[in-house]
Amino acid sequence: MFRFFQKWHPKIGVFAILFVIILVITGIALNHTQELNLNKRYIQSDWLLDFYKIKPAHDPVAFKSGKTWVTQFGERIYFNNIEIADNVSNLIGITHANSMFVVAYDDQVALFTGSGEHIEQLTSAQGVPAGMKAIGVNNQDDVVIKTEHSYYKVNLDELDWHEFHNLEASWSMSSVLPEQLKTELMNEYRGKGLSVERVLLDLHSGRILGKGGVYIVDTIAILLLFLSLSGIWMWWVRK
Amino acid sequence: MNKLIFKVLILASVLLSSLCVIAKDAYLEPEEFLKQAFNNNVPKPDKLWVTKEIKEEANNILGHDLGIVRLRYWDDKNKRAWILEEIGRDKPITVGLITADKKIQQLKVLIFRESRGWEVKYPFFTDQFKNAALDKDTELDKKIDGISGATLSVKALTKIAKLALYLDSQVKNKK
Repeated sequence: MFRFFQKWHPKIGVFAILFVIILVITGIALNHTQELNLNKRYIQSDWLLDFYKIKPAHDPVAFKSGKTWVTQFGERIYFNNIEIADNVSNLIGITHANSMFVVAYDDQVALFTGSGEHIEQLTSAQGVPAGMKAIGVNNQDDVVIKTEHSYYKVNLDELDWHEFHNLEASWSMSSVLPEQLKTELMNEYRGKGLSVERVLLDLHSGRILGKGGVYIVDTIAILLLFLSLSGIWMWWVRK
Repeated sequence: MNKLIFKVLILASVLLSSLCVIAKDAYLEPEEFLKQAFNNNVPKPDKLWVTKEIKEEANNILGHDLGIVRLRYWDDKNKRAWILEEIGRDKPITVGLITADKKIQQLKVLIFRESRGWEVKYPFFTDQFKNAALDKDTELDKKIDGISGATLSVKALTKIAKLALYLDSQVKNKK
């Protein structure tokens, strides 16, 4: 037994040292995530972003109003090149009424000035109907929203919503995003797609190497326990 | 002996790795919150424009830019309802608040999107905000006990409570 531990203790120690260094550094850093702002710092390295396959799951969906674009890239929404929302499922469109840009997505409506200043966010609490399908503007400059079963005309200043069976409007239609803006948004998307914290967590848990990596870290943990126990055993026997 | 030790170690590591935290979003639709707050008689929302002065103080309370220039609130002359959002760790927490007589009557977590810190939705935590008011330093006049493991959510809710009380005072000033 003693010989077994004497033979394997140093070998396992040498084998484990690289992993111990990684675990210690990542563990200490993760313990101070907030102080180090690790969840707000993002990886910019192209190869690491490619390794993580950081890119939108689908092609961008874009709508245009005058010279202003609103684009859904993955789960994010951009007003021209400014990110305005995250965790979004469905961009519905953009329209311009009463000197404001009105962007509809999921079950929310966001109002912006021409320069992209966020005026207000409206949700169901402010009367936004569920199941929006399209947004547009009528010839009286009223915002019109189409849902599965109804049409709504709204005064966004007073938040007066009026339901109709049918309404005519100039509806916001998806358009092809200019290549230059598409490239700009792709860089913006990838640049905020992978936090330092994510990479450190994956290094610490072994997930950076996939499922196999987790088992490697599990094995290292068991080996570290073996080192502790075998060290104590040998010390005890010698004593 | 060796075999037994290794078997125990392997079993322990399997058990540890299978432990996970199950966190779910807590939901009370904002519309439903308002109906409950005003007994199904929800008043039309009023608007509060975020002036330079309001923005400055709101930014101080939140520790970042408020990000909007117009806010809505619901007022039935006896109390006001506010629906506000603040990011806990990564994602916004939507909170409904009722204010009256410069105090918080009720604070409720409506939508929780974070994977950790969801304990703040429970009344044992949110009830602490009842009757809290702002002191002259724009701090709550009640001590709010934190929850271990939910520090950022607790901070977010405390900021929202302060912001609601501050905005409430600005409505009073406006009127």
